[in-house]
Amino acid sequence: MNLKQNILIQLKAMKTLLLNCPAIIHDPPHVLEDIIHGHPVPLKHFRLDIDHDGIAWINFDSPKSSANVWNEETLREFNHLLETIEHDTRVKALVLRSAKERIFIAGADIKAIRSMQHVRVNDLIWLGQAVFDRLARLPMPKIAAIHGACMGGGFEVTLACDWRIASDHESTKIGLPETQLGILPAWGGSTRLSRIIGVRKALDLITTGKLLNASAAKHAGLVSHVVAMENLEPLARRLVREKIPSRRLRLENLLAPVIGCLAQRKVLARTRGLYPSITKAVEVVTRAVRGEIESGLLLERNAVAELIQSRDSARLIDLFFKREEANKRSASSGTALPIHDATVIGAGVMGAGIAHTLASRGIRVLMTDVTNDSLARGLERIHGLVSDATRRRLVTQVQARDTLDRISTTHVPVPMNRHHLVIEAATESMELKKKIFADLAVRVSADTILATNTSALSVSDLAKTVPHPERVIGLHFFNPVHRMPLVEIITLPETSPDVLATAVSFVQKLGKTPVVVKDSPGFLVNRILVPYLMEAVRLHESGISVKDIDDAMLEFGMPMGPMRLLDEIGLDVAAHVAKTLASAFPDRFPHTDALDKMVAAGHLGKKTGQGFYRYANGQEIVSTTHTDLPRHESIQTNLALLISQEAMRCLKEGIARNADDIDLAMVLGTGYPPFRGGPITFARDTGIIDY
Amino acid sequence: MRHSAPNTMKIPSLVIVAAARTPFSRAGTDLAHLDAVELGRHAVSALLTRTGIDPMLVDETILGCVGQPPEAMNIARVIALRAGLPESKPAMTVHRNCASGLEAITLAHAKMCAGQGEVFVVGGTESMSSMPFYFSRPAVEKFTALSRARDFSGRARAALHFRLADFAPVIGLKLGLTDPVSSLNMGQTAEVLAREFGITREMQDAFAMRSHLRATQANHLLNQEIAPVLGHNVIATDNGIRPDSSLEKLGKLKPLFDTVTGSVTAGNSSQITDGAVALLVATEEAAAAHNWKPLGRLVSYAATGCDPARMGLGPVRALDAALHRSGWKLDDADVFEINEAFAAQVLAVMKCLADPASARRAGLEAPLGELDPAKINACGGAIALGHPVGATGARLVQTALNQLHANDGKRAVISLCVGGGQGMAACLEAL
Repeated sequence: MNLKQNILIQLKAMKTLLLNCPAIIHDPPHVLEDIIHGHPVPLKHFRLDIDHDGIAWINFDSPKSSANVWNEETLREFNHLLETIEHDTRVKALVLRSAKERIFIAGADIKAIRSMQHVRVNDLIWLGQAVFDRLARLPMPKIAAIHGACMGGGFEVTLACDWRIASDHESTKIGLPETQLGILPAWGGSTRLSRIIGVRKALDLITTGKLLNASAAKHAGLVSHVVAMENLEPLARRLVREKIPSRRLRLENLLAPVIGCLAQRKVLARTRGLYPSITKAVEVVTRAVRGEIESGLLLERNAVAELIQSRDSARLIDLFFKREEANKRSASSGTALPIHDATVIGAGVMGAGIAHTLASRGIRVLMTDVTNDSLARGLERIHGLVSDATRRRLVTQVQARDTLDRISTTHVPVPMNRHHLVIEAATESMELKKKIFADLAVRVSADTILATNTSALSVSDLAKTVPHPERVIGLHFFNPVHRMPLVEIITLPETSPDVLATAVSFVQKLGKTPVVVKDSPGFLVNRILVPYLMEAVRLHESGISVKDIDDAMLEFGMPMGPMRLLDEIGLDVAAHVAKTLASAFPDRFPHTDALDKMVAAGHLGKKTGQGFYRYANGQEIVSTTHTDLPRHESIQTNLALLISQEAMRCLKEGIARNADDIDLAMVLGTGYPPFRGGPITFARDTGIIDY
Repeated sequence: MRHSAPNTMKIPSLVIVAAARTPFSRAGTDLAHLDAVELGRHAVSALLTRTGIDPMLVDETILGCVGQPPEAMNIARVIALRAGLPESKPAMTVHRNCASGLEAITLAHAKMCAGQGEVFVVGGTESMSSMPFYFSRPAVEKFTALSRARDFSGRARAALHFRLADFAPVIGLKLGLTDPVSSLNMGQTAEVLAREFGITREMQDAFAMRSHLRATQANHLLNQEIAPVLGHNVIATDNGIRPDSSLEKLGKLKPLFDTVTGSVTAGNSSQITDGAVALLVATEEAAAAHNWKPLGRLVSYAATGCDPARMGLGPVRALDAALHRSGWKLDDADVFEINEAFAAQVLAVMKCLADPASARRAGLEAPLGELDPAKINACGGAIALGHPVGATGARLVQTALNQLHANDGKRAVISLCVGGGQGMAACLEAL
């Protein structure tokens, strides 16, 4: 008998003795103390009502918080509730629900976990597993009535129930995003989910960490019914009387090892092994689908214990909080006014993308351009984005139609004095922008916010051309607008606090993350990115192959190699930005005319079918070269150092508010590897710069 | 015949502030993929964009629509909500057959007089491409019986009652263009007028060619009315106009409604068309208060009835009534827009206005006068542009005012015949 089985048996014996319950995972000793000695746990977070039908309604309502989270306190209290229910013969069924307006259970208390010692984290994992398992083994129908955010541990508790029903409210979001924080679902999620929806779908949900709305969740088999919030209770009452849906043996689960192998291959291709939490999750889910629940739980515990040791998880969690804060924090002063009507000037890729994003969030948009043909193309782009979203069930047909209804167009000047905001997204030409702003000045009212989406021109110069420059601001979106979460808000010394507050709130309401930066060439992201790209070109010029450079940076964790990124951006665009930066910082920027030569030859990158790579039908034709690892490391060091150095300079010059903002902007704007925390955190962690 | 004397009481004046319309497109062509809701929404949205007004200022939306889609009952309300007009303001759809677009405007005036509002969005929309096919009454009864059957044998029995003839569709458009009281379709009423007033085939074809050529010359003015529809292609003009229209080409067509002795053809009739028009109208006081510069004022209007079999004569008595109410004489007008339902019909109306005997037949005590042909439909008419029945009345107002402004004219008179035996007319003044 091996060690593992031995321990399992002993633990089983202990728990049976101590908890007076069959087959429940044993709590580690010090946690058991309170339970053994029967200290009563006064109910602070939960309310238990047993009605005359014998239904036990458990209401999760943490005091002084808009959220319910699982931590030691709430888990213990829940455990106590379960014990009470076990011993109450009146109880014939159990319904778990939340009293919060927009949150069912948000998951584990990540903040607490971040500051815990690793050993304590493992204790918490034990506790959650034990409590949820206790719930699973209650011999009665158990229903989870989900309204609002139900993620991570919040969803895992529902997997221990027999029924999951959800409200159709827009705040209802269901998923297991733990892998995005460097861990994996370890409270039974990795074990139980595949038994309900099949290992293939379970792997997809767990490895991507995606959050589904109610109808998508029903489609995926996560919940059985989707009803209006008020109908959750009557539905639950009906379901307690119905037969519990039997878990039919899924054929695909028998093929789990094969499915897992294929999934692992896909994951490795996508992550290059840089996200151990995802590869570990695939391993655990695949192995845990067969056999006893307990062995699955053991796999989960061991996996978390391993993952929590690395720094990756801490960095990912930190980034998560930085982002949450940026998404929710209002500007420090000034009043934010709501934006209901906006104009977007330019119906190109950016203009159409911005117009679509605004309209999809309820803002009426007037999109302008110089000809009807450009407007028609812009509208076609928007139609494409909307059909895509409908097909993926991100929006309903009615929502799609409403989005399109909110967009109107004109190619001739019209009155705009009622518009709260104008976003100029025309061609990158200062002359053109000045003309546009001059026209706007007479057309809008004095307090309409005039924003520009310029990526390299001076917002300050533009502001000088209009009256009331305190309402001029930069709103720099990234391409593609609907997918990139970052928006740089570029402020001038004269920008009014109200305008800034409004801009921040506006970006947050779009579901994007704002980072406030000062007006300076390249602002923040391009300022840091472009020198890195130019250095990559210089390395190539000095003889290193395109593939080696890109592979090196892919291994570092960038989502795309620098040479490939240049092709995507367009060599002409990149050269233009590089020149602007070079003239602003003449002593620093490595001048290279390799790009100019290529642009002159007509190789502009992906859009012309050739740049540093060749493209056929938009697909890159990969050239084969052998990889040279030591060389990759030196390339990585070189380029990563450059990024961090420039990031530090931005910090010193006060371009952004603090180091957190810079890290966040680089991760969200360029895909800088999140598990490294960002260029400044990376510099600090590795000591490559004297910080 | 008595008409009310010009009213000297202080009643609100309706001014037309702005207008926008979709391109007018032959049924089954460029705009066939858009239904009446989409067309109407496009026109209203363009109107709001062009004027930049706050939608909250609109007190009510009134739109004409003859073939209301069954899935958009009270189409004006559906259009208003989708075009961004406030939920809290009401909307209604009106139907006076071919004059529905003008009825929307005059109804707004009546509501202004009743204190029911000061600012209105009016107009009309029609998608003749989308007019449904129907099942016959006996077929409907059999379908109903089938849906009521409880079990398989019941359903089988109900299914056996169907005959092949039950599946032959009834074409809604044809029904809509037939008057049930006289049992004549619109084209047949035009034939009646052609033979009773001696309007020959040649006269009709000449008038039709005139319509096309005038529309071609006035292309620039017409295109300014249009808010282009942006799809795969940009649709920015009316596609019914034939710049190469000629007597020869028109002469080749066969009569449509009376194949043996008739003279009315597809070429000298109005086209079956999709389109929508939206106007912003307000009381004169409200327009001044909002600092709007109106295009024109509605001076007077009238709706009259006539013999359904000769519905084409409707404009005769309607013009008489409207002119009497405004105190104008026929000569006072600089611009005339008489809807070209059929060339024969317009020519018959002109004859009845001028010739004493014909005037009496049309119900006038005395003729009103000779209409200067140069003033009539100078930008062409429904023969070239098309006749989306619910919207045309509003387009005539838009085109008339645009002509006055382009040529420094002062007064315009518009009129339409109405299927079922009515006529409607209005007098407009440029501002």
